[in-house]
Amino acid sequence: MPNYYFLKITDVDLIEELFVYFLIVASIIFLLVVFFTFFFLFRYGVKKRPKKPSQIESAGQAESVLAIIVTIVIGVFVYLTIVTMEKVQTIPENPKPFLEITGHQWWWEAKYPNSGVVTSNQIYIPTGKKILLKLNSADVIHSWWVPELGRKMDMMPGRDNYMWFYADKEGEYLGTCSEFCGVQHARMRIRVTALNPEAFEVWEQQQLRPVATTNTKDFLKGKQLFETKTCTNCHAINGTDFKENIGPNLTHFASRKRFLADMKVNNEKNLRAWLTNPQDVKSGAKMPNFILSESEVDALVAYLNYLK
Amino acid sequence: MSLFINIPEDKEPLPSLKTGRGKLLWIASTDHKQLGIMYLCLALFFFVIGGLEAMAIRAQLALPDNDLISPELYNQIFTMHGTTMIFLVLMPAMVGLATYLIPLMIGANEMAFPRLNAFSLWMTCLGGMLLYFSFFAGGAPNAGWFNYAPLSENNYSSTKGVDYFLVGLILTGIGSIGAGLNFITTILTLRSPDIKLNMLPLFVWMMLVNAFLMLAAFPLLNAGLFMMLIDRQFDAHFFIPSTGGSAILWQHFFWAFGHPEVYILALPAFGIISEVIPVFSRKPIYGYKFVASSSVAIGLLSYSVWAHHMFSVGLSNAVNGFFAISSMLIGIPTGLKVINWIGTMHKGSISLSIPMLFAIAFLVDFTFGGLSGISFAIVPIDWQLTDTYYLVAHLHYVFLGGSLFGIFAGIYYWFPKISGRMLSPKLGKWHFWLFVLGFNLTFFLQHILGILGMPRRIYTYPDLPYWKVLNIFSSIGAVFMFIGMAIFFWNIYKTLKKPRTAVANPWDAWTLEWSTPSPPELKNFDEIPQVHSRRPLWDLNNPDNPDKKLN
Repeated sequence: MPNYYFLKITDVDLIEELFVYFLIVASIIFLLVVFFTFFFLFRYGVKKRPKKPSQIESAGQAESVLAIIVTIVIGVFVYLTIVTMEKVQTIPENPKPFLEITGHQWWWEAKYPNSGVVTSNQIYIPTGKKILLKLNSADVIHSWWVPELGRKMDMMPGRDNYMWFYADKEGEYLGTCSEFCGVQHARMRIRVTALNPEAFEVWEQQQLRPVATTNTKDFLKGKQLFETKTCTNCHAINGTDFKENIGPNLTHFASRKRFLADMKVNNEKNLRAWLTNPQDVKSGAKMPNFILSESEVDALVAYLNYLK
Repeated sequence: MSLFINIPEDKEPLPSLKTGRGKLLWIASTDHKQLGIMYLCLALFFFVIGGLEAMAIRAQLALPDNDLISPELYNQIFTMHGTTMIFLVLMPAMVGLATYLIPLMIGANEMAFPRLNAFSLWMTCLGGMLLYFSFFAGGAPNAGWFNYAPLSENNYSSTKGVDYFLVGLILTGIGSIGAGLNFITTILTLRSPDIKLNMLPLFVWMMLVNAFLMLAAFPLLNAGLFMMLIDRQFDAHFFIPSTGGSAILWQHFFWAFGHPEVYILALPAFGIISEVIPVFSRKPIYGYKFVASSSVAIGLLSYSVWAHHMFSVGLSNAVNGFFAISSMLIGIPTGLKVINWIGTMHKGSISLSIPMLFAIAFLVDFTFGGLSGISFAIVPIDWQLTDTYYLVAHLHYVFLGGSLFGIFAGIYYWFPKISGRMLSPKLGKWHFWLFVLGFNLTFFLQHILGILGMPRRIYTYPDLPYWKVLNIFSSIGAVFMFIGMAIFFWNIYKTLKKPRTAVANPWDAWTLEWSTPSPPELKNFDEIPQVHSRRPLWDLNNPDNPDKKLN
C-alpha cells in the first residue's frame, strides 16, 4: 500500500480511501465475471457448437488457483480493515466527552459537559479539533450519522457509546438518524454547524446567558400559559424550576434556526402551525394538540420568540 | 427391482375437478407433489401482495416530501413488505420446489414424513394469514422486519401488530423446522439404494445443507420471538433496557437466525442454477465436488458471521474483527461457486432458453450483490454505509438477483414437469427483459442514494441534490418490474388453460425427475431407473458415451 495511506488524518478520509480500494478490486472482479460469462455465451452459443460437446469433467484446478488468489486479496482487506478500525474506534479508558448527545423520539438533546451548555437539535461544534461524542438514547435505538464528520454509531438505550467527530471547515453538515426509531424516523434529521473556535466560544457564552425576560403583555401572558398549560411537564427552561427533558429544552429557543429535528425553519408561521396542531405538522410526535385559542397561540409565539 | 417396502399405494391420477374428486381433497393431501404445488401457490399469492406493497413504497418515495401515504401506514407497509418477501415468498417458494422435487430426484415415492409435510405447509399458511389479519386487528406490525427492541415493545408499539408478527413468524418457523427435518430424513434414508451421496443432483445437495441450516436457525428465531411475546403479553423484561433487559440481546438472537437465513434463501438458488446451467450448456457441472463441499463450508461459516449486522451498535474492535474476518471468509466459498458455473459454460453448447437467461442474470447480479456484501464485512465501510439505501440495494441484489432469479429459472425449468405444459418462451422473454432491466435500474441507483446519505426506512426525504432524480428513476424501474410480473402471471394463466402437451423430458435433462411423465403419476416411480452416475438419463440416452460409473 502507498505510504500516504498512513498520513491521512480524519476518520472519514480513512474510510473513504478504504472504500476506493474496495471499489477498485470489486470492479475488477465483477468485470471479469461479466466478461467471461458473455464471452462464453457468444463463443459457445449452440449454433456454432456440436450438439453434444465433449463431456469430460475438468479436474478443477481453476478453483484452487483462484482460491489462493482470492484468499490473498481477502487477507489484504482483513489487514486494512483491522488497521483502519483500530484508528477510527479508539476510545480512551476514562472518556471525557466534549459533547453528549441523547436521542429521543424524534429530536436530539445535546449537552456540553465542559461549559454546561444544554441545547437541542441545533448542534454546534468547533472546527479543527477532534472531539469525543458520548451517545445514548432516552427511549428506542437511534443512530447518529453525519457522513462528512465521522462514522455512524448507534445510540443504545441503557448503554453509552463513544465516537470521534471532526470538522475541518466551517459550515453546515447534514446527517440523519439511521436506525428505524418509529413513526417520524424520516423527520429525525441532523444539522451540525461547525464554527471556528472563537465563534464557537461566543456561541457557548450566548447559550449560557440566563433566560431572557421582558414586561410586554404578550410575553407575560405567554409565559403564564407556558407554565400553566402543562408545557413545563416536558420542556425545561434553564434557571427555573422546570427541568423535565421529555421534550427539547427551550431556554434559547429563538436562537435556533430550525426546529423539529431540522424539519422546519424556525419562523413565526411554522411555530404557529406547530402550536395550533402539532399532529398536523409532524404526525406521531409526542406533543399533543392542546387546542389552544388563536390569542393563546399568539402569546406563546411571542413568548418563545423572545427566548433568544 | 424391489427397492421399497411395498406399501399399497393409490394409483389413480392426481385429484382435480376433472377427476370428480374435488378440490377439497387438496386440503387433506399428503402427496409431496400436491404440497409442493400448494407451497408454490402460497408463495405466488404472497408475492402479489408483497409486490404491491413494494409498489406503494416506490410510489411514496418517487418524490421528495411526498404525502401520498401517511408515516404510520408507510411503516406498516415496509415492515410487511420485508416480512412477507422473506418468510412468505422466498421461503415457501424454495421449500415448495424442494418438496416437489427431492423425492423425484432421488428416486423416492414420497417424503419421509408425509403428514409432517402437510403440517409444515399449513403452519406456514396459517402464520401468513395471522400476520395479515393484523391489518384488521388495529394495525399491521410497524417495527421493521427485524423488529428491533425496544421499539417493538409495548411502550413504543401499542397496536397489536407486533403480537401478530410474533405469533405469525413462530408458526411459519415451526413449519420451516418441520420441512427441514423432513428434507434431511428423506434425503438420507429414502434415496434409491443405487444413489450414493456423491451422486445426488446438486439441487438435492444444496437442500440437504440447507435443511440443516433451517433446523438450527429457526429454533433461535422462535426462542427470541417467544421471549418477546412474553415481554409483550406478560410484562417480562428480556429486551427492555430501562427495566434490566438488553436491547442488544434481541439483535443477537435475531441475526444469529437472520444471517443463516440469508444462506437458507441463497443455497436453493445455487442448487437450481447448478441444475440449469449444465443442462443448457449440454455439459456436466464443472467441479461437482467443489460445489457440494463448499456449500458445507458455507453452512458452517454462516453461523459465525451474524454480528456483521451489528457493527454500528458499538461492539469492541476484537468482536468486530472476528466477525469481519469470518464474513470475508464466507465470501470465498460463495464467490468461487461462480467459477464453477462459468466453467460449466466453457466449451459447452449453450442455448438461451428462459431458465438459462435467468441463470445468466443470476450470475451477473448475484456476483454484484455478493461483492457489495463484502463492503459490509469491511467494518469501517459498514460504519458509514450500513442502514442506508446502499444496504437496501445490496440486499435486493442478493434476494432478487440471487434467490428470486434462481426461483424464476427453477419455475420456467420445472413448470412442464409440474403442470405438463410449457410456459410460453415469447412471454417469458418479455418477463425476463422487463424484470431484469427494471430490477437493475431500481436497485443500482439505490447504491448511489445510500452513498449520498439516504437512510433506509424513511417515509419521505428532503429535496437534497440528486435525491429526487435518482428516486424517480428508481421508481420507474419498479414499474418495469411490475409489468414484467404481470406478464409472468399472464403467462402462467394462459399456459394452464392449454392442454397438457409437454413431453417427459422437454429439455433433454439428466436427473431422475425427468424420467417420469409430465406431470408425474400419483406414485412417482413404478420402477426405479438404473442409476450408475450423476446423470442417469444421459447414460440412458447415450449408452456409447456414459458418465463415469460411481457405484
